[in-house]
Amino acid sequence: MAAADVRDMLDLPAEGQPRPHKKQKVVEKRPEGITRELFALLGERAPPIAINENRYKGRPKWMSKLRVRPWQMAPFVNSARSDGLVLRHWQRKHEPGKLPALEGSEMEVDENNADETNPSSTPVEESSFSKYNVKARVPNRYTDEEYNRHLQSDKWSRQETDYLMDLVEEYDLRWVVIADRYDYQAHPIDTETNANALVPAKQYRTMEQMKDRYYVIASAMLALEHPPSEMSEAEFELHEKMKNFDPERERSRKELAALQLNRSADDVREESILLEELKRITANEQDFITERRELYSRLEVPISVGNTTMYQSSQGLSQLLQTLLQADKTKKRRSIMGPEGAAAPSPAGQTPAPNAPGSARDSAADTPTAAAPAPPPSNKKAAAAAAAAAAAAATKEAQQSVRTLTPAEEAKYGVQHHDRLAPGVQFRSDRAQKMTQAKSNVQTQKLAAALAELEIPLRLVMPTERVCKDFEKLIHSVNLLLEARKVAEKVEGEIRVLEAAKEERERKNKEKEEKEKPEVKSEQEDRPLSAADAAIEAAAAPDPPSTAETGDKATGDGGAAGPDQGTSHKRSASVLSGTSDKSSKRQRK
Amino acid sequence: MNPSIPPSTAEYGGDEVSAIVLDSGYSTTRAGFAGEDTPKSLIPTYYGRYSLDGQEKLVFGDDVFVTPRPGLSVHNPMGRDGIVEDWDMAERVWEYAFTSRLTGPKSGNPLQNGLNDVLEGELPTDMEGVESEEKLLADSPLLMSEPGWNPTKAREKTIEIAMEKWGTPAFYLARNGVLSAFAAGKASALVVDIGASNISVTPVHDGMILKRGVQHSPLGGDYISSQIRALFKSNAPQPISITPHYLISSKTAVDAGQPPQVKLKTFPPDRVPDSSYRTLLEERTLSEFKECVVQVWPGPNKLSATGPNGVPNEEVAKSNPGRPFEFPDGYNQVFGIDRYRVVESLFDAKAAIPDPESLFPTPSPAQTVPELIKNALNGVDVDVRPHLLANVVVTGASSLLYGFTDRLNQELMQMFPGPRVRISAPGNTAERKFGSWIGGSILASLGTFHQMWISKKEFDEHGPNIVEKRCK
Repeated sequence: MAAADVRDMLDLPAEGQPRPHKKQKVVEKRPEGITRELFALLGERAPPIAINENRYKGRPKWMSKLRVRPWQMAPFVNSARSDGLVLRHWQRKHEPGKLPALEGSEMEVDENNADETNPSSTPVEESSFSKYNVKARVPNRYTDEEYNRHLQSDKWSRQETDYLMDLVEEYDLRWVVIADRYDYQAHPIDTETNANALVPAKQYRTMEQMKDRYYVIASAMLALEHPPSEMSEAEFELHEKMKNFDPERERSRKELAALQLNRSADDVREESILLEELKRITANEQDFITERRELYSRLEVPISVGNTTMYQSSQGLSQLLQTLLQADKTKKRRSIMGPEGAAAPSPAGQTPAPNAPGSARDSAADTPTAAAPAPPPSNKKAAAAAAAAAAAAATKEAQQSVRTLTPAEEAKYGVQHHDRLAPGVQFRSDRAQKMTQAKSNVQTQKLAAALAELEIPLRLVMPTERVCKDFEKLIHSVNLLLEARKVAEKVEGEIRVLEAAKEERERKNKEKEEKEKPEVKSEQEDRPLSAADAAIEAAAAPDPPSTAETGDKATGDGGAAGPDQGTSHKRSASVLSGTSDKSSKRQRK
Repeated sequence: MNPSIPPSTAEYGGDEVSAIVLDSGYSTTRAGFAGEDTPKSLIPTYYGRYSLDGQEKLVFGDDVFVTPRPGLSVHNPMGRDGIVEDWDMAERVWEYAFTSRLTGPKSGNPLQNGLNDVLEGELPTDMEGVESEEKLLADSPLLMSEPGWNPTKAREKTIEIAMEKWGTPAFYLARNGVLSAFAAGKASALVVDIGASNISVTPVHDGMILKRGVQHSPLGGDYISSQIRALFKSNAPQPISITPHYLISSKTAVDAGQPPQVKLKTFPPDRVPDSSYRTLLEERTLSEFKECVVQVWPGPNKLSATGPNGVPNEEVAKSNPGRPFEFPDGYNQVFGIDRYRVVESLFDAKAAIPDPESLFPTPSPAQTVPELIKNALNGVDVDVRPHLLANVVVTGASSLLYGFTDRLNQELMQMFPGPRVRISAPGNTAERKFGSWIGGSILASLGTFHQMWISKKEFDEHGPNIVEKRCK
């Protein structure tokens, strides 16, 4: 019903005065326990501490209208107990009035009946907590026969085994408690009857011994119940676990645990330091892995497969520049002819897919040049200058951040500076191997023979930088030696031929002279000849000793120059023969 | 929480059967209904005995302290090791603990209690059928506590009293170590109980004590009192003698260190109370002294050692401001480093103040708290030791000494640097004082506990030895 209808009915004017708008008072709620006057005195700013009495509120008013629901002391039993102890607790009274009216009468009759049969009137209810009475599962008890057949043990008597099994059941497999309470008296009756008799030394059982015995029995009983082939998976697992219990191992584990527990403060500190270190290392490892991945991704930049020979001539380069410029113009961008357009165009900027390490080096080398050029000629002067300044600053920063290494450090970290890097990756050992390959097969074999005599393997065991360098030197000197020997052999051959020719000639001359002036001049003729012979002889004869000396000297020199003094002493005859040839040749010269 | 709606039992697993929990110690006996948070009845275990008109009278409860009756002597039914010695009197004291606050005195045998006495000239009514005796605890199960080293005989005697004298329908005897652990909310814990006559260390695993680890020594609150007495004897300006309040008639305020100006009460020689009464009241002054002045050196290291920054701890202790204390006779003094010395021997046996007249022998190093804990741990399996160390429960009123838990923590950390050591000591004074009673209150009100009671029927069947089988 709307307000207008009411007005109609009561014959009131249609448009009454609008009801005065109720002023909405914003009144802070007065806390309970403070009188209105006192609260008014507080003013606008309420004190920071709430002034209200903390008192019992009581039950709300509407509740007092409800009917009181009575409680009663009700007896109950707990089915987990065997003795049927009846305890009593407070419970809300069962109210028949709340039952539906139809059944009410019947219920009352029932109750009356119950009352008649059971004079204590209230039925005893079951405790709701009895369901929490759970027991640990312990294996079935063995019979005498089973025990005698399967479970005999030298260390455990039947009585003690029984005692153990009782304890296990009593304490629900809490081994800590079982071991604590274990107190088996072997012959209680004997000790009581004659106290003077020797009391057997009390056997102290460790928890491991108890567990061992128990697991043996439990697994045997499990196996008797179901043969292992018929066990369920869980059962089989349990069986295996119990069968494989190793008391010795458990004992040593506990010893270790005790050691761990009784560490000294120093040990603990050391361990904490080590742990800290480990944490640091693992944290760094992550960084290291990401860095390495980055490095790999850089190395895996595809190497350009295109033929670059056409760009190696200046003509080709200029052609390339032209094409690039063309492409640039079509894009209406001036990147190439930009700030560094006047300067010589850097090759790195133009080769589309340069070799990765080279390009990295080039670009690194470029940055200073890109930053260095003085006023860039472009119209975007300011911007470019700013960019240049920024770049310069960046490079400066980069340079500052790079730590310069001392030579010793460089050697330590294996840092090297190359003037020129060969493209691609190669092994040092390969390079060393390559050196042993001469042009001709014979030469190669000779080289190999020389190395074999020096007891240097053909393939270097540890091709470090220094070893490779020294190896290179060695190969070089071996090559020199071989060369010298070849020359020496050649010269020797020539000498032999010439001597033979000379002898022939002399013989002919002699024959001729003998024919021309017989007998008289023979002695005179003989002398120079023999002198010449002697000279030749002398040249040949002192060879062995002198060569030995010079050879030694030569090896000494070689040792000083060569890398491996140890091996140089072992140089044997054939090498020496080469040097000796050389020295003899020198002598002859 | 709406008071008209009961908390659902699923919330806390409680099912209250109006059981009574009785926790008897050497100094006080606590009794109350299970399910409450503090014992309703707290009485001293001491009782007084005097004779009036040739009749022997006994005084129980706090009344002991009040009136210096002529010839009043004070006794304690408990031995110093926490085991009951005088069973008859222990029973009386315990009875007083229930009847004074909890159950109210039962009328006793209707034939003898005087209510049914036949007036002269009346015909005696038929008394057949009247139950001959209503027992004290006929409708309340009783949970009692005992120390971990209680011998079997004492346990059997306890259940006999409860069942036969008091007629309780159900009984249980729980170790107070276990109960303290329950009060701290732990089923496994290493309970360090600093009581009046004893300190004990009890390893508890899954709600059962580990007997081989239980350790106790007599360096409890009474020992500290004896140390304080020794300190007073050798006090610097003048030896202090304690005059209990009952001996003082009037006094005037004096400056610190000045001899007291006091007028003492005099008793005629035949009305003087026994000396044990005076000792008991002196103890009350001493416990006030312990509460106000005594402080445990908080560590690190012993009081006699040097601290971590190389300064001797004694120097540091001396530089701390002293604490004043006024004795009942008006004598007052500021106690400096001495207030640390009186308890130092709980941690460092060498620091004991020698006193040849003391009842307590000089403590041995094995009796100190850290050594007890160490021995207790060595008595249990190595696998549970770290867990126990992480659950050290400190309870007992003497553990309320200022700085005690800090020092204990320091000592344990030094002794076991490896495993985590965590001490749980309730900050609430009542919870610390009544730890084992509160645990009993929790236990006896649990719905799942009711299957563990020893019922009257079982007792009748198996005899008192059932307590050994059931209360493990």
